[in-house]
Amino acid sequence: MTDSIKKLKSLTENIETIIRGKPQQVKYVVTALLAKGHILLEDNPGAGKTVLAKTLAQSISEGVVDFHQAGGGVAFKRIQFTPDLLPMDLIGSYIFDDVKKDFVFKKGPLFTHVLLADEINRASPKVQSALLECMAENQISVGETTFPLDQFFFTIATQNPIEMEGTYPLPAAQLDRFYMKISFGYVTEEVEFDIYTNYLKIGDMKNTVKQVLTYHDIIQLQKEAENVYVHPEIVKAIVRLVQATRNHTEIALGCSTRGGITFIKCLKAWALVNQRDYVIEDDVRALAQPVLHHRMVFRNREASKTALQQIVDAEVNKLAKLGIGMKK
Amino acid sequence: MKTILNQEKFQQLLIRWVLVVLPTVLIGYVTLRLVSFSYTSLNTGIISQTVYFTLGITLAYTLYYYGARLAITIVLVWFVYWLFEKAINQLPGEFDVLYANARFLLFSTLFIFGWAFGFLLARIKWSYIIIAALFSVVTLVAISDTIDISLGYILLHLFPAVLYGLYMLFLAPVLDVDIDLSWAKALKLVGRLAAFMILILLAFVITDSLLKGEVKAVEKELAARGAKGKDGSGKKDKDNYDERNGLMERGKGGKGDDGYRLKDTMRVNSKMSQSDKLMFCSKLDNFFPDGEPIPLYFVYHYLTRYDPVKESFTRDVNIPSFDEIEADPTHLPMYYSFTDTSIVRKSLATKFRKIVEAQVYLSENTWKHSVLGPSSVFSIQTIPVEKDFQKTFLSAYKIYAYASELNNAYFVYNISASPMLEPLQDQRHDELRTVRNYRGTDRAVFEYYTQMPTGGIYDSIAQLAQKLAPKDATPVDKVLAVRDYFLQRNENGKRVFRYTLKAGAVDDPNIPSSKMLYDFLFKTHAGYCTYYAGASHFMLRALGIPTRFTTGFATVNRSDKNKGWYWFYASQAHAWTQVYFPGYGWLDFDMTIGNEDQRSAPKPDGTPPLPPPEPWLVLNAKAESVDAEAKKLDAAFRELIYFNNPHQLNKTFTKNVDASLCRVLYHERDTTLAALKPGDSVIIVSYKDEAKKIPQPRAGVAIELQIENFPSPIVADEIHIRAKKKEEKPRNEKGRSAQQQEKKMTWQEMAWMAGKVLVGLLLVILLLPLLYLFYRLVQIALAKDVSAKADHVYRASLYRFHMAGFERETETPLEYAEKTIDPNLHVGFADFMRMYLRLKYSNGVVREGDADTLHQFANKVAASVRAKKGVLKTILNYFNIMRASRYFQTPISSEPETKTL
Repeated sequence: MTDSIKKLKSLTENIETIIRGKPQQVKYVVTALLAKGHILLEDNPGAGKTVLAKTLAQSISEGVVDFHQAGGGVAFKRIQFTPDLLPMDLIGSYIFDDVKKDFVFKKGPLFTHVLLADEINRASPKVQSALLECMAENQISVGETTFPLDQFFFTIATQNPIEMEGTYPLPAAQLDRFYMKISFGYVTEEVEFDIYTNYLKIGDMKNTVKQVLTYHDIIQLQKEAENVYVHPEIVKAIVRLVQATRNHTEIALGCSTRGGITFIKCLKAWALVNQRDYVIEDDVRALAQPVLHHRMVFRNREASKTALQQIVDAEVNKLAKLGIGMKK
Repeated sequence: MKTILNQEKFQQLLIRWVLVVLPTVLIGYVTLRLVSFSYTSLNTGIISQTVYFTLGITLAYTLYYYGARLAITIVLVWFVYWLFEKAINQLPGEFDVLYANARFLLFSTLFIFGWAFGFLLARIKWSYIIIAALFSVVTLVAISDTIDISLGYILLHLFPAVLYGLYMLFLAPVLDVDIDLSWAKALKLVGRLAAFMILILLAFVITDSLLKGEVKAVEKELAARGAKGKDGSGKKDKDNYDERNGLMERGKGGKGDDGYRLKDTMRVNSKMSQSDKLMFCSKLDNFFPDGEPIPLYFVYHYLTRYDPVKESFTRDVNIPSFDEIEADPTHLPMYYSFTDTSIVRKSLATKFRKIVEAQVYLSENTWKHSVLGPSSVFSIQTIPVEKDFQKTFLSAYKIYAYASELNNAYFVYNISASPMLEPLQDQRHDELRTVRNYRGTDRAVFEYYTQMPTGGIYDSIAQLAQKLAPKDATPVDKVLAVRDYFLQRNENGKRVFRYTLKAGAVDDPNIPSSKMLYDFLFKTHAGYCTYYAGASHFMLRALGIPTRFTTGFATVNRSDKNKGWYWFYASQAHAWTQVYFPGYGWLDFDMTIGNEDQRSAPKPDGTPPLPPPEPWLVLNAKAESVDAEAKKLDAAFRELIYFNNPHQLNKTFTKNVDASLCRVLYHERDTTLAALKPGDSVIIVSYKDEAKKIPQPRAGVAIELQIENFPSPIVADEIHIRAKKKEEKPRNEKGRSAQQQEKKMTWQEMAWMAGKVLVGLLLVILLLPLLYLFYRLVQIALAKDVSAKADHVYRASLYRFHMAGFERETETPLEYAEKTIDPNLHVGFADFMRMYLRLKYSNGVVREGDADTLHQFANKVAASVRAKKGVLKTILNYFNIMRASRYFQTPISSEPETKTL
């Protein structure tokens, strides 16, 4: 426990040397990683999405390696999505080998541990679905062959807000595949001042981010996250919460059961990231928005801002009113 | 699966029936009972009323529970109405349409009310506030006409509504969620409810007892107005006296000394009293020139207005030329008089008018707060009752009335009672035939006294009346035509109309009285005085003759020994008609047929009380020094009655009074001079006596000078000690305005009392936050292990921080600790919270440092709050009710529509 806490601490600290003033977002990303999920970052260009993804990858990888032979580090690939991108650009294709006189499969950038899918909503739906399939199944099927991906496969996707021109918004069903969707937002005045004064230094550091964790560390941490204790009352609260989203008048599409399972997985990981081996009510409040919000369809803009938060606040307050041993 | 779900849902519904619908029905029953008690028109069976109300509320609630919303429910209600309507039209012969309609109206109203309440309860969370308020208002209105209102009375009657409101307030959060059915939880809920009820009851009792002393003065004041307030009004009278339908009702005092009075409101089916209790006796100074006494009917009230909704005759305000004296004899100090000279003007009579004097001695059975006397009493003076008769008669007064010579009882008696009266009555009628019509009568008077409802039964009564008399007949002939209608005989020589106290098959209090009139006139032809008076009232008004319904006592002359004395028993309570003749005023006409089958045995004649001696001097004084041994006292006075002339003095005189031979009375009961204390208000009476040197009044000499000539000591014959109470105005120059003023006072007092109650309740409520804190602290002290202690510390400190002004909104306690409490108070709440959350959510064992963290934090809380806010403010904060109530509320009302309810 203390060992893994130390490791996590070093990871987050390492990232925070580059990503200033966003400890919460860094934690979210690490949580998604530990929950064996994927994360979608959504914000305006220039908020630091890509840098965060890259820094995370660099902290646990040894640069570009073939992931099947990965020794201490992990492989990191980045794909910049564009409208003319084709699925085979991601997953690879069969190429005729003159020597073997046969078609051999040339693996695409998806065959990696950490994938940065930049501006995912710029690609056509065909490409998006190709990516999402392997995110869900952890495998890639090409023709008759199915290529398994490594058990450690983590996608950080970024997207610009869908109001922007030239984008293909992700359908709700595909958004569901992402464990979390977070937005960055702008930093505070002081942090911004810090960034501007030190931008040269930060720029240098970006290229020299040191590796602090290994592939095996991540696998170990993921296992530990699964062992985090979730109190039955919290599970009950989540059941009530999920049910409430389905019955709410302002919510057209409530949270799915998969959403609920994901929520619990993320809660465990989040607890570990916060150096605990049990989940508390604060975790529910902290994670509800990033984990659940993008899975639902709201009837109007106002509800999109308040409805979920109200349900969560009510449930958390109920939890807070319980005593030890869950007495009323 | 589905059935199980429904079963569960049904169970939830059952629970809600018990928890919500049942209390609402109970409170509805209580209120309806009270209302029925006050408004006789609702006399259609409290149980069936409640059943309809219950039906409405349960149906609406259940329908809403199963998803039926406004549109469906309205359609359903309309459908039920339509069915009912149809059913009534299908069966016209079976049960009377009108009868069914009137009941239907009442019950459908109740049903709709129940429906609305049920719907509200199911739909709106806080609707119980509206309902409780409505019930309280209805209760207040229903009890507001009670004269003897007191704090206890108001509290007692408001208690159910308030209890209901608080109960629902307590229950409302529980109803948000499905209620767990397990025994343990149910028992716990019941236990908590019971504890809560006890708490409220306690609050009421405390309020009552705390304020009792202060309210006593008010109660006394009210008692002085004639009625003692105790909650005995609900008790059934022991004498099997049916108060609902009787002509008389018990004074609402319930103490027994106020006696029976005739009702202010009377329905046609109001029964004659069967009791032979002595009500009062009277000496009436009204004689023929040959010395034969002339009896006069004694009037109690004129019921001038007919209320077609309640179907009852009632007293009215704003009556043109109303000649009923408004005075309360119990308000007049001994020997003081009250005269309303405007009655002379209002009596509208000029011919055959004379002044009649009468003494009225009231027995304990009689209501003593209003004046009984022949019509048009204009003056009243209280007189003492002679000592030997005090057992029989409690109080007495002398009255002066304008009476018409055409109005003696011999004229008034219906000739069916004694055909010998016929020639006598003809004289009167001949005289009255000089009145040809009502042209020239004041329009306001004429129109007021001839108005009557139209439609249905009233139209058929009018048609009947118009058939009886030609249009151009003189008014008196029309009256006689109506009287003769009641006297007609059939071909066998038998009377068509009969007198009976059991008015046949229609003797059912549930039936509205216009229906009874109709039956009386067209079917049964049998009834008692109110039937005859009511029917003739409508018939005469239909003929355009000003008429009023009069209640009082029929006078029977049977005292040959004591001429001019009349005894009145309860069975003489009567109702008859007064008809207005221009120039002659209001004349009595008794249409009631004598009972041919049965004649009651003559009632015994009593011995008349001795008339009181005439006083020459009455002093309204204050006893200054009393010498009980020597039987002397000094009296200071500013008011006196000197040879029946009241005087106000411009300065206070003090005279020595010789009380050696005098009667001392307290509350009209004999006592001794020892009971008189200096400072008491007394009325000192001295009789005219040959043996005394009485200074004769001298005209043109100031009263102050005449007093100088009064003998010293003044020999007193009676000393009335007045109960210690606020000084009453001895003389009411204008009775009506004085009474209005009194009434206003009462309202002020009532408001004052209500205010006190409110303040008391507020105080209790104000203390609740502090009590809760103590409860929490005691819990901490009693906690057994560290985790239990942590739990209580957690709750207590959250509460204390909240009450110190740091309100937690939607954040979790940990966030609250980190962001709000620790930066402000530096108590290490966050550390405690982390430990607490670990204990709470990790099923973890208590670690070594935990107890220390706990104690460190717990010890710092109070000090840090005080340091931040100051001692005084910390304490004052606990009186902030709004803040405390926010603590117990869920911060935001989320998920408004998620539950079925």
